Amino acid sequence: MFNLRNSILSAAMLIGAASSAFAQTEPNVQEIVNKASAAAYYQGKDGKAKVSMTIADAQGRERSREFTIIRTDLGDADNGEQRFYVFFNRPADVNRTAFMVWKHVEGDDDRWLYLPALDLVKRIAASDERASFVGSHFFYEDVSGRGPDEDVHVLLEETDNYFVVESTPKNTNAVEFEKYKNWIHKETFIPVKTEYMNDAGDVYRTYTAEKVETVEGHPTVMQSRMEDHQIGGATTMMYSAVDYDLDLPDDIFTERYLRNPPRKYLR
Amino acid sequence: MSYLSERSADKPSMVAWLIGLFSVAMIALVAAPSLAPETFSFLNGLKVDTDPENMLSEREEVRVYHNDMKETFALHDLIVVGVVNEQNENGVFNVETLSNIFELTNFAETVRWDAASEKAGVIAVDIIAPSTVDNIEQAGLGAVSFNWLMPNAPASDDEALAIREKVARIPTLNETLVSADGKAIALYIPITSKDVSYRVAKALKGKISEFSDGAEYHITGLPIAQDQFGVEMFRQMAISAPAAMVLIFILMWFFFRQLTLIVSPMLVAMAAVIGSMGLLVATGNTVHIMSSMIPIFVMPIAVLDAVHILSDFYDRYPSYRDRRKTISHVMDELWKPMLFTTLTTCAGFASLAFTPIPPVRVFGIFVAFGVFLAWLFTVTLVPAFIMLMPEKALARFGAGERSKGNNEHGALAQFLHSVGEFSVARSKAILVLLLVAIGISAYGITQIRINDNPVKWFNVDHEIRVADRALNERFAGTYMAYLTLEPRGGSEATSVLADETRELLANVGGAEATEIEALIPTALNEAADNEAFLAALEAYANEKYAAAGTDEAWDAWEDILLTLDRARLRADIFKRPDMLAFIEGLQRHLQSSGLVGKSNALPDIVKTVHRDLLLADEKEFRIPDTPEAVAQTLITYQNSHRPQDLFKLVTPDFRKANLWIQLKSGDNVDMNAIIDTVDAYMAANAAPVALEHKWFGLTYINVVWQEKMVAGMATAFLGSFIIVLILMTFLFRSIWWGLLSMAPLTVTIAVIYGVIGFIGKDYDMPVAVLSALSLGLAVDYAIHFNVRSRQLFETIGNWRGTARAAFGEPARAIFRNVIVIGAGFTPLLLAPLVPYQTVGVFISAILVLAGATTLLALPALITVFETRYFPQPKPKGALHVQSAK
Repeated sequence: MFNLRNSILSAAMLIGAASSAFAQTEPNVQEIVNKASAAAYYQGKDGKAKVSMTIADAQGRERSREFTIIRTDLGDADNGEQRFYVFFNRPADVNRTAFMVWKHVEGDDDRWLYLPALDLVKRIAASDERASFVGSHFFYEDVSGRGPDEDVHVLLEETDNYFVVESTPKNTNAVEFEKYKNWIHKETFIPVKTEYMNDAGDVYRTYTAEKVETVEGHPTVMQSRMEDHQIGGATTMMYSAVDYDLDLPDDIFTERYLRNPPRKYLR
Repeated sequence: MSYLSERSADKPSMVAWLIGLFSVAMIALVAAPSLAPETFSFLNGLKVDTDPENMLSEREEVRVYHNDMKETFALHDLIVVGVVNEQNENGVFNVETLSNIFELTNFAETVRWDAASEKAGVIAVDIIAPSTVDNIEQAGLGAVSFNWLMPNAPASDDEALAIREKVARIPTLNETLVSADGKAIALYIPITSKDVSYRVAKALKGKISEFSDGAEYHITGLPIAQDQFGVEMFRQMAISAPAAMVLIFILMWFFFRQLTLIVSPMLVAMAAVIGSMGLLVATGNTVHIMSSMIPIFVMPIAVLDAVHILSDFYDRYPSYRDRRKTISHVMDELWKPMLFTTLTTCAGFASLAFTPIPPVRVFGIFVAFGVFLAWLFTVTLVPAFIMLMPEKALARFGAGERSKGNNEHGALAQFLHSVGEFSVARSKAILVLLLVAIGISAYGITQIRINDNPVKWFNVDHEIRVADRALNERFAGTYMAYLTLEPRGGSEATSVLADETRELLANVGGAEATEIEALIPTALNEAADNEAFLAALEAYANEKYAAAGTDEAWDAWEDILLTLDRARLRADIFKRPDMLAFIEGLQRHLQSSGLVGKSNALPDIVKTVHRDLLLADEKEFRIPDTPEAVAQTLITYQNSHRPQDLFKLVTPDFRKANLWIQLKSGDNVDMNAIIDTVDAYMAANAAPVALEHKWFGLTYINVVWQEKMVAGMATAFLGSFIIVLILMTFLFRSIWWGLLSMAPLTVTIAVIYGVIGFIGKDYDMPVAVLSALSLGLAVDYAIHFNVRSRQLFETIGNWRGTARAAFGEPARAIFRNVIVIGAGFTPLLLAPLVPYQTVGVFISAILVLAGATTLLALPALITVFETRYFPQPKPKGALHVQSAK
């Protein structure tokens, strides 16, 4: 079993090496992944969107959550330090619940959750990064993005439209997947599909960008979906009121604003 | 009358060929589709069913609800693997055992294979094991961490012990994952369907055999028990039925000492078994715990008629010295009693067709069919077989040295004669004795305890029972029952919602709130339901919100919309603290009743997370004060690695809660006590929103089918009693003779069930089934005795003389039958499953006692009521003798 997996892996690496050797003009794989990360999470210097999230379980029973998400890139550097603020509107019993991320280039990200009914700011442990984001099929890490340096990437294939990249984690203990495969759009560098595989080689989780539009010159995912084949069901996120380059002040991304939401920027 | 037998005696070879062909055809009909299902897809092959759930029809309401709820709460059948280590002072909490448990869990996750349409085997995401569940703990102020309880095998014993400490703080895991004494671990492995459990368990056992840490691994759970059941069932059929055959053969040889002659009843029995089982399979019925007993029931019953024929033949042959004439005489004499004993036996079994338990129905119908076949084959094949034998083989038959013990002067004959004399002479004493026996038995019957437990169908020392004990001593219980709570229909009127909305708006205050409040009466009038009511108000507020010119107006309308959504959330009743407190109260009540090992419900999760959000302060192990706080506690819980676990205890709309109740005993009496205590609690305590409660789970299903079984059996028993009585009255053209025939078996059944009450044997599935079916069988002796006595009276003309003659050949035939049938069922004692043993013991007891009662009670009763049963003889008797010669 183990040997078989190794030989598949080395075969994949060989293919990757061969393709990069033959196509000198093409960008190398790390460059592709960096661009994909920038396209997915760093458009503009900051941004805002309203999100309507629908969680459907294996039986098709749906729950929905509505939230506003704002983001700023410190120093406007792609793949650099970044801050997120997620403010929940609905359902009413989670209204004013807020989630904040300080994404770091080096080391673990910082994450907080504010629970207004208990007036409690809760730090989310780094080990919980790959746990469910408020009961959805997305993980916390999916909301803010996985650092491009956390995995070893191999370009598996280049089709007319996509770079197909396979990524294997450097630290296998921190993640539940064995590897994942990304279909990165060659023009926009938006990852349109991601398949997560377990050690048996089965795809157990699939991300799809279902709708991409250009907003203020930036290719933007307007609808995305995460499906879990083990638990069953899928979560769909629909984005609206997307806006870039709002000149968001850095200080609203602080613990103080978790308790007193910056309503002006969330409207 | 005996036309069939006469024709058979005339064309013996044809009869033998026909029955032989019938058997071969039946075997082919079953073998072809079983061995080559593809080629013979239009035929039904052998199908085995070991699922006790099938004791109830699939359309039965309780099963429909059970299956619905399993889907609603995403619950699966569980295999429980209990790990116990007696050799280590910390039990399994040492590096080696936990490493093995870690490895076993990883292995279990891979036990999956491709089945017809989807994957079958273990459902990896729902496994409950140290490495697959989250540890919930506070990690500094306001930080709750969900990390895997055992992400890797522990490196030191301290690490191993830390796992135990963590679990002790999580009520949903404590006593479920880790035992109460903190030394054992139970893994709960969900499987796609029950019928994969054997394959999964086999794979797990293979992995476990690699371990050498001194721990014991017990595999149990109802699915395992059921699969094991199937294996044992076939062993029963493979051992007990042939053993019964051999035993009957030996007894027959002992009675008649003529090997060639007794081959015929054995062939009859075999053909009857093949015919009934063949038809069972060919008609698409399954071999279930009940139907697997068909061969061993048909076998001894099938030879009864042949015993009478051979007995009579044996006695008559020496005087005729012509087999054709002897057969005519014998068949003439026995035709009526054989026909009627067959009819009553069939009626007794067929009465089971009126029970609401499908497998019992199938059993009754096919045994009845087998008994009918046995009669048909007996009256044709036995005469034919005698005719096929060379006359010289019969030369010494029924006379001479070897058969001395069997004729009028033998020991058996003398014994029976003395029995006859005794019962006539002491008739009044016997009568008094019978009445006393009935009186005492009546009291015994009131002491009967109705109870059953499919796990106890295995012997005490069976590995399943051993595992059952090992786990239930240490954990909250391996028997699962589930209780659902949901709002009672009509308990949430729109007018109530309108009042609540008014109240919420008043709290917000302001001009906007007043504006919306003014719309409430119209909305209430026009709305079809609660949602329409809120939607109408929201539509208005949304318009205002979109048109808001100032930040203040925007904020104000946003607040109104939030308030309306809050009103909507009143329907999420199980986010409400008062409703959670109600569940908590019910759980406390269950726990204090001492009947349940543990209950897991939504409040347990809420309280645990709430405590750990607030610095792990034990005082905060409580339900928070507002629905919002509950919702936010739950959203925290859903940030875990297993957010889906929440919806095993409540539906996503928070309108149906599920209490997972673990019981240490699967006895129906225990489950019944819990049902009663919950009913009483629900009646005495009103929930803030009126609730209705319903049970599901296998432990509950067992209770339901037992109730149906007991009621159904009472009907079947009464039904077969009446049918047999009518048959008897018809046979003898007299209600008095009918009642007389019923007397021995009535006493017998009363005594046997009285004994069950006295010795404290549970009235379970086999005991229930036996009452109705044994009735039709036990009456046979009385039929033979009464018919033969009446025949003899015709010639003899007085009761004393008749009694003496009746205790000659007729009594010997009855006695031989008592022996055959009493011994014929004893091989069931070799069966590895308790219900088979129970059937073996009780049917033997009933039939032996019925035989004894017949030979004692009937002559005694006739003697006491002689004037009614045998009034002064008429001269007609002498004429009859002449015409018969």
